[in-house]
Amino acid sequence: MPDSILYWKGCMSRLRTKSISDSTMELFRRMGIRFETLGESEGCCGSVLLRTGQLEAAKKTAESTVDRISSAGFTEVVTSCPGCFRTMASEYPVILGGAPFRVRHVSQFLVERKSILKDRLGSVDLKACYHDPCHLGRHMGVYEEPRELIRMVPGLELFEMRDNRSKALCCGSGGGVRSAYPELSREVAKTAARDQVPAGVKLLVTACPFCNYNFKDACSGQIRVIDLPELLLSAWRADLNGER
Amino acid sequence: MGSDDWLTFKRDEFKRWMEDDRRRTGLSRAVAAYTSAKANALSRLPELEDMRREVRKIKEQSIQHMDELVKITMDSVREVKGEAYFARDAEEAREIVSGLVGSGKLVVKSKSLTGDEVGINEALEERENRVYETDLGEFIIQLRKEKPTHIINPSVHVPREEVAKTFSELLGKPVSPEIPALVGIARDYLREKFCNADVGITGANVVSAKTGTIFIVENEGNARFVSNAPPKHICLTGIEKIVPTLSDAFRLLQVLPPYATGVFMSAYVSMITGPSKTADIEKTIVYGAHGPKELHLVLLDNGRRSMADEEAFREALYCIRCGGCMYECPVYRVIGGAFGNNYFGGIGLIWSAFTTGDEKVAAAVDACTKCGRCKEVCPLEIDTPRMVERLKQRLVKKGFVQPKHEEIMKSILEKGNPFGEDERANRLSRG
Repeated sequence: MPDSILYWKGCMSRLRTKSISDSTMELFRRMGIRFETLGESEGCCGSVLLRTGQLEAAKKTAESTVDRISSAGFTEVVTSCPGCFRTMASEYPVILGGAPFRVRHVSQFLVERKSILKDRLGSVDLKACYHDPCHLGRHMGVYEEPRELIRMVPGLELFEMRDNRSKALCCGSGGGVRSAYPELSREVAKTAARDQVPAGVKLLVTACPFCNYNFKDACSGQIRVIDLPELLLSAWRADLNGER
Repeated sequence: MGSDDWLTFKRDEFKRWMEDDRRRTGLSRAVAAYTSAKANALSRLPELEDMRREVRKIKEQSIQHMDELVKITMDSVREVKGEAYFARDAEEAREIVSGLVGSGKLVVKSKSLTGDEVGINEALEERENRVYETDLGEFIIQLRKEKPTHIINPSVHVPREEVAKTFSELLGKPVSPEIPALVGIARDYLREKFCNADVGITGANVVSAKTGTIFIVENEGNARFVSNAPPKHICLTGIEKIVPTLSDAFRLLQVLPPYATGVFMSAYVSMITGPSKTADIEKTIVYGAHGPKELHLVLLDNGRRSMADEEAFREALYCIRCGGCMYECPVYRVIGGAFGNNYFGGIGLIWSAFTTGDEKVAAAVDACTKCGRCKEVCPLEIDTPRMVERLKQRLVKKGFVQPKHEEIMKSILEKGNPFGEDERANRLSRG
């Protein structure tokens, strides 16, 4: 067990955007990465509770999560969700005084293993652009890793949204807004996709299940939305249809 | 308010904004103009990088010594034959200003957030004074009986076609929606008010304690009229606006305009140190030459000291009110003036809660995604998302909880996920 990493799916890709966690696991298998999940007992990182002002419930949740992960013997955690990543890596130290494992976002983890991906990815003819998730970019300073991975797909031309990296526009789903005011969340995503994506770009690559879900929901018919591991797996399978 | 009123009125307000294409048009035109003007100004002013850090330090120190600076300012103003007052809350401020104005007077005003915060117009109108807003944006929304929707550009949501309609009603004849002509109408209409007004009321952008100098920054020239033409000038401003010296004030004044409107410097900066005076006849000082005979400075607390006392919210007082973070906020771009109460955007949520109370702003706090873009574009790097999270914690303790968030919390504690789903079917995956 300790020689495997823990792949922490996060609530969103565990239950709402399952194709993100399914693709991530299939990609890991193809890359020969040893991983486990906590399955039904994964639970919650506490991010949503922190964002909605429920500090006590967040602490309680975070404590029990740290217990589950460390009692299972994991020392390496890789997350799909930038919210889980930020919460565990930068907020557990504040609210719990730390956690006995290392946490990374899947983009950081994969970029270290990009030699495995090299020559595996099929060629496409596609113009795409990448949306920086707030929790990954502004809050954790991870900007280049996802871009590096996207650029590995042969033939994929990567464009930037008008505002990007530290100035990127939020998709509108963070901070408990999506649950409190769903129409507002959708409107923010729609406005961002409309104003920010360069003309001719047909594919929006996300690196966050929340952004992914919100953009898909708000921009159906406007632009195709895919999460980073989905993109890489799809390129590996050579079924990323550039015409779609 | 009823138990859910704090929520329902805001939800309706959001909806009205989202569905109002005219407002959205006005707002998006303004955002586009602002962002390109600011980008241009910042690229041509590389020295601002150092200067904005200096201003941050000036504000940190000023807020740390706020009470002391209030005292120095009041002494300085009195020394130059002005009057100075301290108002603990909105009610005291209204009383002081109403007492100074009296009743049946003609009052001209230049844009003042602080005035709106304490409800000064309503208080003066209650005493049968006629009050005219003279900033064009404020004038427009005063006529439309609306509330400001941006701190620098209060009528940002009103496109030219709507302004023309409003002015047509004012003049009782058709007016064409050409912007220069609309500006001309306001100029002609207000000129006579400036000259005949009994009292002029302004805010202040900065106050320097040591000299007792009030700084008013503007582009239209209306604040000059307001602070100069009537025989009595009342300046109402928050105690967080005070910095120790003139040099400190000048630092701040150089950072404000590029971030506020994308210009190197605003057209007019008025520095006012005491009432108008002359000693040209026999060296005998007489107050009230061409300018006001009386100058009254009202310094307002109204929650500011509480903000300063709480480490978690003190940073909000560093805000120089450029308003840039609002234009840059993805949520403000959609719901504009509904995103806050008197003060807008992320920083406005903090300000609204402390100065106008929790009820009116609690629901808007849940519209903030805490994305952090406001911090990124702030010249003083104010950590607004962190403060909004802290504010939310406080509001939750006071019972302002979104029913949906309550449901999510229960689901997380009981089922380990926010969706209320039973996950026992989920099998363990392994690779």
